Amino acid sequence: MTPSGNVLAIRRLSATAPPPPRAGKSPEYAKLVDLSRCIGCKACEVACKEWNDLDSEIVPNFGSYQSHRDLSPHTWILVRFTEVETGGRLRWLIRKDACLHCGEPGCLYACPAPGAVVQYENGIVDFDRESCIGCRYCIAACPFGIPRFEPGTGKALKCNLCVDRVANGLEPACVKTCPTDAITWGPKGDVLELADRRVRALRDRGFATAAVYDPAGVGGSHMIYVVPDAEYLAHYALPADPRSRPLALRALRVAKGAGALLAGFGLLSAALHYLAVGPSSPEEAERGGEEG
Amino acid sequence: MRADDLNRFTWFERVVHLAVAVSFLWLLLSGLAFSYPSLFWMTALLGGGSAARALHPWVGAVGAVALALAFVLWAKEMRLGKADVEWLRSIPYYARRRTDKVPPAGKYNGGQKAFFWLQSALACLLLLTGVPLWLPGAFFPRLLALIRLLHYLAALVAALLVIPHVYLATIAHPGTARGMLSGTVSRRWAKLHHPLWSREADR
Repeated sequence: MTPSGNVLAIRRLSATAPPPPRAGKSPEYAKLVDLSRCIGCKACEVACKEWNDLDSEIVPNFGSYQSHRDLSPHTWILVRFTEVETGGRLRWLIRKDACLHCGEPGCLYACPAPGAVVQYENGIVDFDRESCIGCRYCIAACPFGIPRFEPGTGKALKCNLCVDRVANGLEPACVKTCPTDAITWGPKGDVLELADRRVRALRDRGFATAAVYDPAGVGGSHMIYVVPDAEYLAHYALPADPRSRPLALRALRVAKGAGALLAGFGLLSAALHYLAVGPSSPEEAERGGEEG
Repeated sequence: MRADDLNRFTWFERVVHLAVAVSFLWLLLSGLAFSYPSLFWMTALLGGGSAARALHPWVGAVGAVALALAFVLWAKEMRLGKADVEWLRSIPYYARRRTDKVPPAGKYNGGQKAFFWLQSALACLLLLTGVPLWLPGAFFPRLLALIRLLHYLAALVAALLVIPHVYLATIAHPGTARGMLSGTVSRRWAKLHHPLWSREADR
């Protein structure tokens, strides 16, 4: 897994024209989170805090194995615990929640600040603090509800898939620390193959609805789940059909183009009118010397 | 004030108009920067990207208060009547300075009145859509994108309407801007542009 070529080649930037095509393409990487293997130890949460130097947020226990109620500007991974009772049976659902690093990132399309959202060719979607203007459109646009606003700095923050480690040929910190191989890392093709094998094995063991979660509506993701029981998708708080480009946002793009044309037309009309008709003159009007 | 000048706007009317104008210009520049990546550099004129974003809603709030005052000040005088509709129909003649074919205007002509009502309605729409954009965290992606679209469209129409407003009040009709700066206009200016109003003032 040593990096080859330009490991941080940029695929797109928010509010910026796409970079010119170049020869060669760095491979896409992905993180596989196999929910059937997760034991809820939260080591990934701790490793994330340590590697990214994020403040610990000490909160009282609220009657759950879950460490915090929600993600925060300083908590980029949260292992969510959900209890579901169906047909007299209790199911304890555990999911590592973090940025999915969409292929078509809703945050990137919504962002008005040039370069504040960066998507690398390897699939990582990162926020650039320097360029972020704190508008929070990314927070509203994310179909998974991931980015968080830090009021102190006025910036949006989220998991960056340990882009600094990946650039140096290392796996993300959460992958490295996972004791049960519930989180694995590799080229996306290999990861998808492994996910398929895991799903087949789960189905053989009686998990009839086991599935890979790599939602097509957001262009696939670079954190992929193996969900042992996809009938509980809603209880896992995973949207069944997430989308990253609402129709209104595409309409806004068209409207902006039309708006620029209309404004240019308006200014030009005023200029032409002035040249053709000129300024009005009260003196001439009084003398009755006005003409059409 | 010279002997042949007429008072057109009180000091308070001029202050309110200036507040509306300055906030509108500020909002227009920052809005353009947020809407067009090629114009994002304009945020540098407004204190940088973060400051421009943080101030935009506050300037909007100031503009909303100023516009509310403007509405209270002028709503009565801006009531549209039959003569104003006639005036609006005569715009093609007005544009060619065929004043003989344009119905004489009072203190405000039909175009100015229509501008007032349109901008007031657009300001309401901008305010309604602006509040959720101020604190967007709680909105669904689709709803927020729709609100952004509406905010943009309202701002676009408002900006398009301001083009003739500024053009007519400055270079097209010399002597007009004076009314909003010093408060007075010349009698001759009034006779040409607002004959009914000038006759009233003479009485």
